[in-house]
Amino acid sequence: MKFRKRAFLVALVLLGAAFAGQLVLRAFLSNRTLLSPDALLAISFGGEALAFLLIGFFVSFLARGFGAREMGLAALLLAIAAFIALRQLKPPSFSYDRFFASTEELILWAALTGAGAWLLGMWGASAGVLLGAAGTPDLRFGYEAGIARTHLRLNRRTALTLIALGLVPPGLLFAAGVLASLRYRRGAETSALGVIVAAGAVVAALLLVARWVQARAALARLQPGQRRKRPATVVMTAISIAGVAVGVWALTVVLSVMSGFEADLKHKILGTNSHAYLLKFSNDFSEWKSVLPKVAAVPGVTGVSPFILNEVILSHGQTVTGAELKGIDPATAGTVSELPRQVIAGDLKWVASPQDIPTSVVEPRSEASKQLEGPEYQQYLEDTLKRRQQHPEEEKNKLDPQALKALPGVCIGKEMSHQIRAWVGDVISVLTPLGEMTPTGPVPRSRPFRVACILYSGMYEYDSKFVYIHLPEAQKFFRMGDNIMGLELKFNDVDAARAEGRRVVSALGGFPYRTKDWAELNRNLFSALKLEKLAMAIILTFIVLVACFNILSTLIMLVLEKTKEISILKSMGARDASVMKIFVLEGLTIGAIGTAMGLLLGFASCSFIERYGLQLDPDVYYISNLPVNADVGQFCAVALISVALSYLATLYPATKASRLSPVDGLRED
Amino acid sequence: MPPLVEARGLHKSYWLGEKEIHVLRGASFSLEPGEMVSLVGPSGVGKSTFLHVIGTLDPPTAGQVLFEGRDAYAMPEEELAAFRNRSIGFVFQFHYLLPEFTALQNTAMPGLINRYSREKAEEAARQVLEMVGLAHRLDHKPGELSGGEQQRVALARALVLKPRLLLADEPTGNLDEATGEGIHQLLVELNRRLGIAAIVVTHNPRLAERMPRRLRLSEGLVIEGSGEEGEVTSSGAISSPPGPGT
Ligand SMILES: Nc1ncnc2c1ncn2[C@@H]1O[C@H](COP(=O)(O)OP(=O)(O)OP(=O)(O)O)[C@@H](O)[C@H]1O
Ligand SMILES: [Mg+2]
Repeated sequence: MKFRKRAFLVALVLLGAAFAGQLVLRAFLSNRTLLSPDALLAISFGGEALAFLLIGFFVSFLARGFGAREMGLAALLLAIAAFIALRQLKPPSFSYDRFFASTEELILWAALTGAGAWLLGMWGASAGVLLGAAGTPDLRFGYEAGIARTHLRLNRRTALTLIALGLVPPGLLFAAGVLASLRYRRGAETSALGVIVAAGAVVAALLLVARWVQARAALARLQPGQRRKRPATVVMTAISIAGVAVGVWALTVVLSVMSGFEADLKHKILGTNSHAYLLKFSNDFSEWKSVLPKVAAVPGVTGVSPFILNEVILSHGQTVTGAELKGIDPATAGTVSELPRQVIAGDLKWVASPQDIPTSVVEPRSEASKQLEGPEYQQYLEDTLKRRQQHPEEEKNKLDPQALKALPGVCIGKEMSHQIRAWVGDVISVLTPLGEMTPTGPVPRSRPFRVACILYSGMYEYDSKFVYIHLPEAQKFFRMGDNIMGLELKFNDVDAARAEGRRVVSALGGFPYRTKDWAELNRNLFSALKLEKLAMAIILTFIVLVACFNILSTLIMLVLEKTKEISILKSMGARDASVMKIFVLEGLTIGAIGTAMGLLLGFASCSFIERYGLQLDPDVYYISNLPVNADVGQFCAVALISVALSYLATLYPATKASRLSPVDGLRED
Repeated sequence: MPPLVEARGLHKSYWLGEKEIHVLRGASFSLEPGEMVSLVGPSGVGKSTFLHVIGTLDPPTAGQVLFEGRDAYAMPEEELAAFRNRSIGFVFQFHYLLPEFTALQNTAMPGLINRYSREKAEEAARQVLEMVGLAHRLDHKPGELSGGEQQRVALARALVLKPRLLLADEPTGNLDEATGEGIHQLLVELNRRLGIAAIVVTHNPRLAERMPRRLRLSEGLVIEGSGEEGEVTSSGAISSPPGPGT
């Protein structure tokens, strides 16, 4: 009775402290550091979760056992207290159309806090019980591991079989990928080691099949009585392992593909855009020439380039389209984006020196042929080149060659080129609605430009929207004098763009300068992606969860099968915690083996997808192959989730087993 | 000095639905260190139940079991487990061995539970197995041993940590005369050499007679002396062969 009261009070105080600590930590971090909101949430809630785990662990020693009721009551009170506290604090809402969280949202938060505290507390408490919280702590598990191994029949033979079964299918997948990459020369380069591993996997698979056939033959020769019977639990164990493996496999592959899409998108966005814009809270940025060296000197900044961005209308012949006109400095543009490397025909430098644009036909660059795939586009290209050959621009516009040479250059995207049917050397008109004021109202201003280069970024939006001209031309066109819109910045570390941006602003003395990083500029896109990924992760975690129910039922079967053995062990002085350890170890072993197999399969599948290059419809996805990005951190997270869930699955059967009385199993026979 | 074991007014009843079965009805007795007693009684009288209660496996409905003055069932779980491990050795009526382990591993188990190293536990196990004459059967699993050999492995396992109290439930039950005699000799010798106190349940009146002290369980009570010869003999005859399906 005394234990319980003490455990409850301590649990209540500690849980409250952990919750308050989380609030304080989040407030402190958001005021004092430059972490992103995601990082803030992760750190503060991660810390709180860890605290709940440790509190559960600690309380299990005070309560001399799980202390489920004490923790539950404390968690309930915590939820109520959290609700009251959050109501006073008025935290911001998670939905965009509301500023403060509504009462329902607060109830949800408080309930989640309470439930999390209880669940994590029980998680920690179970660890405490396992380590002997009921009395003297006992960290050893020598004989428990031995017994668990015997229950699972984990002798050398089965271990070898498991290793073979776990390595061969992923090895074969890997080998298929290597073969594909050697055959089609697509995707990742294959090293000699890869080839050796692949060959080894194929040989191992053949050996295994041969061995299996041999074993089947030997089995067929045996008399009925000689065959060894396999207990149901062993079969169930194998099924459980397979279940976990499949769940982990699905989780890793899907998350890797989604990461692949995300990374691909990021790569393309950052290929065309810089990491951040340095802007001003005013229209006058004419001092940019003095600001530029200061910005370039800030550590972490690797590139600076001025820009002007405005909406315009383009026309070529009868076709008209809207576009984003960007004035750039071709000399420095390469330091902030991949523009010079996106050119598939012509040259970015010709923007600044239009007299260099040849009047003859400009063929696409040879290395760009891969980007020009697709029958429709091929046809367009052929037609265009033929047209240029037969009707040079000079004749069409009736311009004398000298005047033509003097026209400023413009670079357009591949899709844009297709849309308005303009190729390098063609003359197009750029029209801005911000034109002259006349007595009859504003009249748009228009100027002819000559196409200097065609760009391919891999993003449909960019290739059909963005056109680039020389910065001085843009200043002239928009009548801006020596003014610019802002500076484009590139940093060492893309993911620290926000913090780096703030550092640049503070180096310039703060207001009126400000930065907008790429994540902020593309927030909608990335938050949609992140949400999608989170949803996928949660859905697929359910597969792992179901697999863990498999573990649960296998362990319950095992406990029932071993009731007698548990009684004997207890009569010999095995402690409750030891019996619990046996079954927890069994469940964890099943989970760990399944997880390892699933991770290997997942890794092999990712490598296969990458090497084989599964084709996607480029008209729909604007991306030729299914992208995949096998991230180590993500694999580790999946492994952690899977093992943690298997641990959770062991708790019920293990606790049941440990609570069997010694005579329970001695009676039956 | 208090006695090694003292049972005070032990009651034990089982419930079968609405029906209460009184097995022990206030059994009391005490045992000095190093003492050896036999316990006889007709089948179903509650001898196994009595041993389980004394051996801290099954709490009594009422009454106390004191070990050197300490109430065993008042101890916390892990202390009781450690006590069972160190101080009590069991030989069950149906010689329960762990079927997946060899004789050596079975015998080493109490040592391992006591957190001996593997080598130390197996060394101790090998010695006791030698003592019971099974040095040549170390790597046999229970299924590969004869009934008597299994019984001897069970005895070895009970003795491996040199407990102070041995509770043997018909250790010679399904053995031939000679082997049974051998086990009996062994018990007597161990008792003399190591000073292990023992309660031996037996249906064999001759073996019971040779014990220095004899107890009889009757109507849920422990009675000193093996009682009238006739009763024991007849009940012994009834219950032999003892225990079902071995
Ligand atoms: N778990 C139980 N539930 C109900 N009745 C039980 C239970 N355990 C034992 N009994 C009853 O208690 C009585 C005593 O059983 P016990 O096993 O102690 O007898 P015993 O003296 O050892 O007999 P034997 O000489 O045949 O081994 C029996 O009648 C038995 O049916
Ligand atoms: Mg009995």
